[in-house]
Amino acid sequence: MKYNTRHILNKIFTVVTAASVALMIVILIAVLGPMIWRGSSAVFFKSTVEFRKMQLDLHRRGDKTEIDDEISQSEVYRDFIYHKIDAFKKGINTDYYTDRVKKIYRQFSKELQYNGIKGDELSRRRKFARGIRRDMEKAFRSLNKAEILQIIDNINKFKGDERIANTKAVEFFALADEYRKTIKNFDLSKRQQYAQALEEVESLVKQLLGPRSNEPLPAMIMDRYGATRLDLANELLGKIIWKRQWVQQSSGKPMIEEKICRSTQFAGTELEDLFPYIEENFDKITIPRFTFYWQYFIDDSTSGHYFGGVGPEILGTLILTVLAMVFVFPLGVISAAYLVECASENMVLRIIRMCINTLAGVPSIVFGLFGLAFFVLVFIPFFGGPSKPCILAASLTLAVLTLPVMIRASEEAIRSVPKTYKEASLGLGASQFRTFVKVTLPAALPGILTGVILSLSRVAGETAPILFTGACAFGSVPKSLFSQTRTLSYGSYDIAVGDKIGMLVPHNQYGMVVTLVLLIICLNAIAIFFRAKIFRRLKGH
Amino acid sequence: MKRIIVCGLIMLILVLATGAIAAEKQTLQIVGSTTVGPIADAFAETFNNKYPNLDITIKKTGSGDGAAALLDGRCDIAIMSRFMKDKEFKNAVSKGIFPVPHVVAMDGVCVVVHPSNPVKELTSDQVRDIYMGKITNWKQVGGADLKIVIISRDTSSGTYETFHKLLMKKKEMVKTVEYVNSNPQAHARVKTTKGAIGYIGIGFLDANVKALKLDGVMPSRETIASGTFPLARPLFMFTNGYPKLGSMTHKFCSFYLSEMGQEIVEAKGFVPVTNY
Repeated sequence: MKYNTRHILNKIFTVVTAASVALMIVILIAVLGPMIWRGSSAVFFKSTVEFRKMQLDLHRRGDKTEIDDEISQSEVYRDFIYHKIDAFKKGINTDYYTDRVKKIYRQFSKELQYNGIKGDELSRRRKFARGIRRDMEKAFRSLNKAEILQIIDNINKFKGDERIANTKAVEFFALADEYRKTIKNFDLSKRQQYAQALEEVESLVKQLLGPRSNEPLPAMIMDRYGATRLDLANELLGKIIWKRQWVQQSSGKPMIEEKICRSTQFAGTELEDLFPYIEENFDKITIPRFTFYWQYFIDDSTSGHYFGGVGPEILGTLILTVLAMVFVFPLGVISAAYLVECASENMVLRIIRMCINTLAGVPSIVFGLFGLAFFVLVFIPFFGGPSKPCILAASLTLAVLTLPVMIRASEEAIRSVPKTYKEASLGLGASQFRTFVKVTLPAALPGILTGVILSLSRVAGETAPILFTGACAFGSVPKSLFSQTRTLSYGSYDIAVGDKIGMLVPHNQYGMVVTLVLLIICLNAIAIFFRAKIFRRLKGH
Repeated sequence: MKRIIVCGLIMLILVLATGAIAAEKQTLQIVGSTTVGPIADAFAETFNNKYPNLDITIKKTGSGDGAAALLDGRCDIAIMSRFMKDKEFKNAVSKGIFPVPHVVAMDGVCVVVHPSNPVKELTSDQVRDIYMGKITNWKQVGGADLKIVIISRDTSSGTYETFHKLLMKKKEMVKTVEYVNSNPQAHARVKTTKGAIGYIGIGFLDANVKALKLDGVMPSRETIASGTFPLARPLFMFTNGYPKLGSMTHKFCSFYLSEMGQEIVEAKGFVPVTNY
C-alpha cells in the first residue's frame, strides 16, 4: 500500500513536471511564433517592381537592363492611369495652375534682378506682377464662371504693359488663355463634389506607384518609390477600390462603417472605369516576384527605418556586447577569485556579497543614469576623452550592469572546483597565483562561461543603460570607440514611439526584434559551443 | 584557438581606438524631443547625402533631456517641442551657455475620437470638462450613449504640456485618465476604442481616427499656420549662441528655410513656417 502511494505520487510528479515543460513550450511558441513569422516577412516577401528599382538606385543591385525592361512594361499601364486622372483633374484641381503662376512670378523676379534692376523700379514692377498673380489665383479658386472670365479679360488688358514687356511675365497671358479653354466646357459645380475624392485617389495612387517619372524627385528617399512589397500594395489596392466611410444610421447611435465602391462614387465621369482597370491589371503594374532579401542584415536604413535593413544596428549591438564582455570578464573573474580564494569569511565579506546581490536587482535605468553621470561626464573626460556619449561609455555601463551576474557565476564555478586539484598543485610546489591560473581557472571555466552566457543575453537586449550613454536613433556606422552607435534594442524602441512611419512598416519593426532574438541565440550558441569544447577537454577526451 | 580569439579582440579594440585618432570627420550631435525627431531624421538623411564627411547622430529622449544635454555640452543641437523653461534658461546662462531658438516647423495638437463617433465638433470648455471628469458620457455633448474613455499623453511629454497649458488652462485632469507614452500609442488606443477621446500631433492623423473641430476650427495646415487653431505650437531647435555662419550646425538649423527643407517638413506631416 505504502509502495503504491509512493508510486502514484511519483507518477503525479512526473506528469506535473512534464505538463509544465509542455506549457512553457506552448507559451514560447505562442509568443515567439507569430513574432518570428511576421519578422521573417522582412526578409522573405513578394517584392514589386518598385522594390527592384529602389535596390538598383540605392545599392546597384540587380540587372539594369532587366529592371529597365520591367519598368517600361509596367509604365504602359501606369501611363493609362495617369492619363485618366489628368484628364479628369484639369478642371477640378487648380493647384497645378496656382503652382505655375507662382513659378512664373518667381522667374520674373529673378530675371529682373539678373538684369540689374534695383530699388524703386524693381519693387514697382514686382508689385505690378504680383497684382496679376493675385488676380489669377483668385480666378483659379473661383467657382463662378462669369467672374473667372471677367478676371481673365481684365488681366488680358495688361498685355504689352511696359512694366512686364519682354520678360518672363508675359507667360501669364498664355496661362490665362489655357485656363479659359479648360473651364469652357466644364461644370464648375463638380469641383466641390469631386475635389476631395480626387485628392484621395491621387494620393493613394501615388503611394502605390511612386512619383511619376516626369515629376521632380521628392526630397526624401521614402517618397521616391511606390509600394515596394506586395502585401502593402494589396492593402493600397483595397483602399483604392473600396472607400471606407462612416455613416450615421440614426441620431444618438454610433456611426457604422460602410464600404463604397469607388467606381460608383465616380459614376458618370472619366474616372469610372479606372478602378476596374487597376484591379484587372494589378499584376502587370506591380510585377510581383518572390524575394529573399538577405541584405536586410547588412543594409543601412533610410530615415525612420522605412526602407533598408538593420546592418548598423547589428554591428552596434555586437560591438557593445563584445566590449562589455571584454571589460566584465577579467573584472568578474578577479573579483570572484578574491572573494573565494583570498578573503577570509567575515563581516566585511558578507557585506560585500550582499552589495553584489543588491546590485543585481537594481533597475537598469539606474545604471543608465549612473553611466551618464559617471562615465560620460567624469570618467572619460578625466582621461582626456570627449564628454559625450560614446560606445566606450555605453559598454562600460553595460559591464557594470552585468558585473554582479558575472561575479556570482564565477564564484560558484571556482568554489565547485574540487579541493584536491588545488591541493595537488600546491603540494607540487606551485604558488597560489600559479595554482589559480593553471589549475583552478581552467577547471572553473565552463561554469564561468555559463555566467558569460547569462550576461550576454542581458547585455545585448538592454535599452535603458545605453539610452543616455551611447545609443542613438540615427547615425552612421561607428568609426571609433568615441562615436555613438545604433543598436537593435534602442532601434525597435525608436520605431515604436518615434515616427508615424513606424505604423506603416510593421515588418521592419518585427524584423528588428526577431533579428535581436536571433543574434542573442547565435551568441549563446557560440558560447555554449566553447563551453562544451572546454568541458570535453577537461574530461580528458 | 584561444590565442587567435584574444588576438582578434585586441585587434578589434586597436582598430576602434586608432579610428578615433584617424577620424577627421565633422560630427553633429542632436538630442531631444520625439516629436521633432522625425524632422531631424529626414534632414539628416539629406545632409548625409549632401556632405558625406559629416557624421550626424540623433537621439530621441524627450525635450527635457534635450535641454539638459545642451547645458551639459553633450550635444550641438537640442530639438524641443516646447520652449525652454525659466529654470533651464537661468541654469544655461549661469553656465555660460546662451540658448538660441530656431523655429523649424509648426505643429497642431488635434483632439481625436474613434471614427464611429458622430460628434464632429467640441468647444474648448467641453474638452476641458471631459478631461476634468465633469462630462462622462458622449450623450452630454450630442453623441451616442457611450462612456467616454479619456486618453492623455504622459505628463513629461511636450505634447501634454501644450495641451495642459493651452487647453486645460493648467487645471488638473481627472484621475481616470489613461496615460500613454507616445503619439503612435495614443493613436492606437483611440483607433481601437469606441468611446475614446485623445490628442495627437497633426502628423499622426489618418483615416483610422477622426479629428474634431475645436471651437469651430478644423485643424489643418492653414488654420495652424495662421494661428486660428487654438492648439498650435512651434517646434524648436536650440543651439548654444547663434551658430557660426557657414558651420554645419548653422546649415542644419537653417535648412528648414530652404525649399527642400520646407518640403520635408510638410512631407513629415508638420506645417512649414513660411509659405514657400
